[in-house]
Amino acid sequence: MTLRELLTRFVLVDTPSPLLKQAPTTIGVLAAVVITILVPGLEFTDDAAAAGGIWGVIFATVLATIFTATQKFDRLTLIIPCIDLLAIGFFRLGTGASASVFASLIILPVIWIAVTPHRRYILLAAVGTSVALMMPFILGATLPDKPGDWVRGVFSPVVFAAAAAIVNEMARQGRVQITAIRALAEERDLMLRGAVDYTNRLRDNEERLQAADRLTRSVLDAVTEQSVVGTDVTGLVDVWNPGAERMLGLDATQAQGKRYMHEFHLIDELLDRSRELNYPPGETVLNPGFSALVESARLGQPEVRQWTYVRADGSQLSVEVAVTRRVDENLKTVGYIFVATDVTQALEVSRLKDEFVGLISHELRTPLSSILGYLELMRDDEDNPLNDEQLQYLGVAERNAYRLLRLVGDLLFTAQVGSSSFTLDATDIEVAPIVRASVESATPVAAGAGVELLIHVDDDIAIVSADAVRLGQACDNLISNAIKFTPRGGSVTVSLANEGDKVVITISDTGMGIPADELDQLFARFFRASTATRAAVPGVGLGLSITKAIVTAHHGELDVVSEVGAGTSFIVRLPAKRFVQPA
Amino acid sequence: MTVSPLRVVVADDDADIRTLVSIAVRRAGLDLVADVDRGDTALEQLGILRPDIAILDVSMPGLTGIEVIAALEADDDLRGIRVFLLSAAVTDAARQAGIDAGAEDYFFKPFSPRELAARLTELVPPAGRPE
Repeated sequence: MTLRELLTRFVLVDTPSPLLKQAPTTIGVLAAVVITILVPGLEFTDDAAAAGGIWGVIFATVLATIFTATQKFDRLTLIIPCIDLLAIGFFRLGTGASASVFASLIILPVIWIAVTPHRRYILLAAVGTSVALMMPFILGATLPDKPGDWVRGVFSPVVFAAAAAIVNEMARQGRVQITAIRALAEERDLMLRGAVDYTNRLRDNEERLQAADRLTRSVLDAVTEQSVVGTDVTGLVDVWNPGAERMLGLDATQAQGKRYMHEFHLIDELLDRSRELNYPPGETVLNPGFSALVESARLGQPEVRQWTYVRADGSQLSVEVAVTRRVDENLKTVGYIFVATDVTQALEVSRLKDEFVGLISHELRTPLSSILGYLELMRDDEDNPLNDEQLQYLGVAERNAYRLLRLVGDLLFTAQVGSSSFTLDATDIEVAPIVRASVESATPVAAGAGVELLIHVDDDIAIVSADAVRLGQACDNLISNAIKFTPRGGSVTVSLANEGDKVVITISDTGMGIPADELDQLFARFFRASTATRAAVPGVGLGLSITKAIVTAHHGELDVVSEVGAGTSFIVRLPAKRFVQPA
Repeated sequence: MTVSPLRVVVADDDADIRTLVSIAVRRAGLDLVADVDRGDTALEQLGILRPDIAILDVSMPGLTGIEVIAALEADDDLRGIRVFLLSAAVTDAARQAGIDAGAEDYFFKPFSPRELAARLTELVPPAGRPE
């Protein structure tokens, strides 16, 4: 136990301990004993009574020590000043009774009693005083014979009671004040704790914000191949990442708060777009050029569009820009984000591809034109007609030239798929006539190969949005494939049916089938099934990839079901626009 | 009274195709007045010779067939020349572009000389057709 703890426990300045309250009485009585012994003329008139008084005070002091040690501070401690009063009564009796000079010691326990909350203790103090002063008569069991004694027994207690009342009131007021001060102090503590909490929370929030900011910044900084630019609703730049720096030739300090996003765009493109949008509309239109950029995003529809950026040095750059809206916590638009990707290279690749397609088209088809044209001239030469054998040779040459022409067409088509030159010329058409035409044109080939060609068409007329030429090409490919892979004596069945909102064209054969592990590669360019190469069926492996591309371009699906040795079914599902009941 | 046959200029950068077209022109009974291998030369010859018909390849050095048509359309004296285009293109869009530019007809390569001759024969007034 440290000295401080000891002091706190026994002294307790704020709430005086019983021992501290007892101390003046103990010291006072001991001082009185010493004074009585030392000062001439003073003496113990009744040794027994004086000793009783001294022992009484000692007993009270011991009791106070015990109460203090056990931390017992309740009203029970009032027994101590009461004992003190009795003891002082005895001590006074032992030092000359009414002639004793130590009657004033009574004030010490009286004060203790008086400071105790509640006014009834004033009465206790008065009664205690009276008992102490009237002790000689109580013990002698006689009544005071002098009027002065009566006065002493009544008057002094009244005076003491008055003093006690004053002390009691002052103590009460003191307590009220202390309570108020304590309440204030607690309130202050509470506020202080609140302030500290608030500060801590602020600091935490700030740290979190800083971490989030660092994260955002590092993500933005990591995007070096794309420019990320943020603006307010008027287009004034407030976010500018290193990609933007690289792509547009200005650093963040030159752009943020100084430049508008539309200043980096080709003005003609902005004007064209503005005309497309019939400007000026909308409430955020502060700047028509900027509005053209964000029109779609402003309406809540993120947009990706090709634009031309104009760098700080005036050079131009083809970009694909994704524009999205920035909103505040109330979902109000506060700006826009522009993420741009340099598509110069992609455009160049696309251009080269188109160029290649054009080259193939021209360079391969031109010699074929000559071959086929001159063969035709030979056939038509009436002046020098060919004999049968020559005509037969000519037929072989023509057939192979056409085969080469088809191959060139397939290569061309394959190159076109995915490039800008591959487009569908789609109109609303009936599917059945296309399927019938394909079957019809394949009939001579099927007959020549000894394969039976059957067709089943639903009565309902299905209308699809399709490019008739391309769809016919897809059907031709699938039917000619089926015939090629079906041995003599087998059959190929083409059926057209409606399933829900789909038109389903199924081409089934009784041919050699395709191994299951090759089915997933079937639609890859230049892939040929092992069964096809083993059976030496001619082809280069483009037909199915082209067919797949055509079906996909029509928003349809191409599936295959096959069993080696039993046959294969190709299933084309196209979204139907509507069905018409036959008349 | 004899009707002079329609006069034709042929332009294609491929000599064999040029010969093939020339044969078709003669078979149709028309008069081949020039065959050239460049677009710009074709325009020059058309200006000098003022033929009735021009059969032009679309893709030629100098000027493309489409550009030659545009030049003819811009010239009041040459606007009357009927132009046939030959092209190795494969799309209907390319054909439409040629027709829109002002071509009389558009033939995809490979073309049948027989069909080209037949189409040219249609242009000749009945009286002038060869027996």
